[in-house]
Amino acid sequence: MKKFLEKSVRWILTASGFVTSVVILLIIGFLFTEGAGLFGEPVIEDGYVLAVNKENPVSRLSAEEIKAVFDEDITNWKDLGGNDMPVRTFRLEDADDYFTEEQLGSQYEHAGEAIAGLVASDPGMVAFVPGTMIPDGAGIKLIEDKNISPGEVLGGKEWFPTATPAPLFGVLPLLAGTVWVSLFAILFALPFGISIAVYMSEVASERVRGILKPIIELLNGIPSVVYGFFGLIVIVPMLQQVFGLPVGESGLAGSLVLAIMALPTIVTVAEDAMRNCPRTLREASLALGATKWQTIYKVVIPSSMSGIASGVVLGIGRAVGETMAVLMVTGNAAVIPGSILEPLRTIPATIAAELGEAPAGGAHYQSLFLLGVILFFITFIINMCVEYISSRNRAKNR
Amino acid sequence: MEKIEAKEVDFYYGDFHALKHISMDIPQNKVVAFIGPSGCGKSTFLRLFNRMNDLVPGSRLEGEILIDGKNIYAPEVQVDELRKEVGMVFQRPNPFPKSIFENVAYGLRVNGIKDKAFIEHRVEEALKGAALWNEVKEKLNASAYALSGGQQQRLCIARAMAVSPSVLLMDEPASALDPISTAKIEELISDMRGKVTIVIVTHNMQQASRVSDKTAFFYMGEMIEYDDTKVIFTNPHKEATQNYITGRFG
Repeated sequence: MKKFLEKSVRWILTASGFVTSVVILLIIGFLFTEGAGLFGEPVIEDGYVLAVNKENPVSRLSAEEIKAVFDEDITNWKDLGGNDMPVRTFRLEDADDYFTEEQLGSQYEHAGEAIAGLVASDPGMVAFVPGTMIPDGAGIKLIEDKNISPGEVLGGKEWFPTATPAPLFGVLPLLAGTVWVSLFAILFALPFGISIAVYMSEVASERVRGILKPIIELLNGIPSVVYGFFGLIVIVPMLQQVFGLPVGESGLAGSLVLAIMALPTIVTVAEDAMRNCPRTLREASLALGATKWQTIYKVVIPSSMSGIASGVVLGIGRAVGETMAVLMVTGNAAVIPGSILEPLRTIPATIAAELGEAPAGGAHYQSLFLLGVILFFITFIINMCVEYISSRNRAKNR
Repeated sequence: MEKIEAKEVDFYYGDFHALKHISMDIPQNKVVAFIGPSGCGKSTFLRLFNRMNDLVPGSRLEGEILIDGKNIYAPEVQVDELRKEVGMVFQRPNPFPKSIFENVAYGLRVNGIKDKAFIEHRVEEALKGAALWNEVKEKLNASAYALSGGQQQRLCIARAMAVSPSVLLMDEPASALDPISTAKIEELISDMRGKVTIVIVTHNMQQASRVSDKTAFFYMGEMIEYDDTKVIFTNPHKEATQNYITGRFG
């Protein structure tokens, strides 16, 4: 009976470990396949084509060029390697400006021919229409379409996932936003965190520490949306006034909120590391005539450096992955920020904000998963750093 | 000539009466050993000489301890200045996680000495004094943790001696070491005799008889007997001392 019980406990433990690992692997696998799916999508929106006059020498356009053309930023074909003639764009919505209802047919059944005729008659025309509408031949040709390339995504400076005809999935602005916000958050949190840790482990009496420590640990338990709310109500208006900004939502606001959020992690880990600094080392230093402060900055802090570093890296990890608070205070402009006072947007905030409106299975949807993959790699690298630092620490203390 | 004088010292950890009415004179540049069973107060007494017990919350001292005729517990005494005068070596080797050179230079640096040549000179002298120079002169920048336990302890002695203290307190300096390293430490103590006042706490009675000029026997917070080492080990006056050194209890 006892043997059976032990056996079944062992079985349950094995099963739960196995199931958990499989689930995690499935999640990662799902993330990667969905993310990689983006590179199987065409540059031009699925099901649509770009039609130009047969005489037009331009046969290839990048996603950025397509966007520039339809935003009327490029108005001459010679900028695209073609002849010197003005670009005229045509979208299906414009049909009523060119044709009468009669020409199009009541069910739009003649629309394809009408548009083809229009493109064939105007050498500068480029039309964005569903592929099924366009009849074969008839003096027009289609812009070659290829799949979205990793280079365009990872090196792209523009994030316009809903742009038509060609959405832009350049992740650099989001990556830059994430890095800027996290970097500044750590710059703010580090000096404060270390000072509080030193104060708590070295200066404060046991009673003060007994009050302070639970309060700081309590900060860890506050939901991030509350921090975001606080940031929106207090920090954002304050920054707007202090720096005279048009809007207070900025990278700086995000970094400040994140700094407050990362503080408890840094303080707790760094303080533990300092308290774990062996008593014998402190005694050795004091016995040599060092003052308390000399002992702290010459012995205690250097010998707990790796613990402090893990605290900092964990704090960075929190800052990088934080979604809600950042979403609420950074203004969410997907542009590469010129300064920390400008609005910016981070990777997690993008996923949270856009997943709801991205049609499932589409390029936009897959691009968000790709962002998830990028975020996964960032936090993965950070965790590796923590592992490395703490393993080095263990080796040193042996 | 007396270096350290303890006058009717009582010491308490909270309510616990750890040292009872101890008076003792320690002569200059001699080696004095404290022996006694664990928990008898000998380490506590030793740590009063450099005020290391100040760090223990709730501890309290009555009586006076004088070094060079000055009460070291007087309110105007700077504790860090006192500790430069009274060095200490601990039971377990406790080098800093720094290079060998920086370990020895530490005491000089915290004393505000910046003269590089002088520091290098003192480090070399201290390492030679601790019979460690020949073993480490090629790797002064290596981590102190790369040394063996015995070498680390000699490094700690060099570190303590680098600031030229006039008193060196040793709290069971060889108890964590192998016999060969222990012999080296004892040799060092013999070398330093006559140059610095040494007070050593030890559990090892052979060690006490080998290295010390005078020996004090502690039991249950009291100093039972204090005399020349030869007298203590051959012809003690108290029965408790006799019993302890012959191994009948302890």
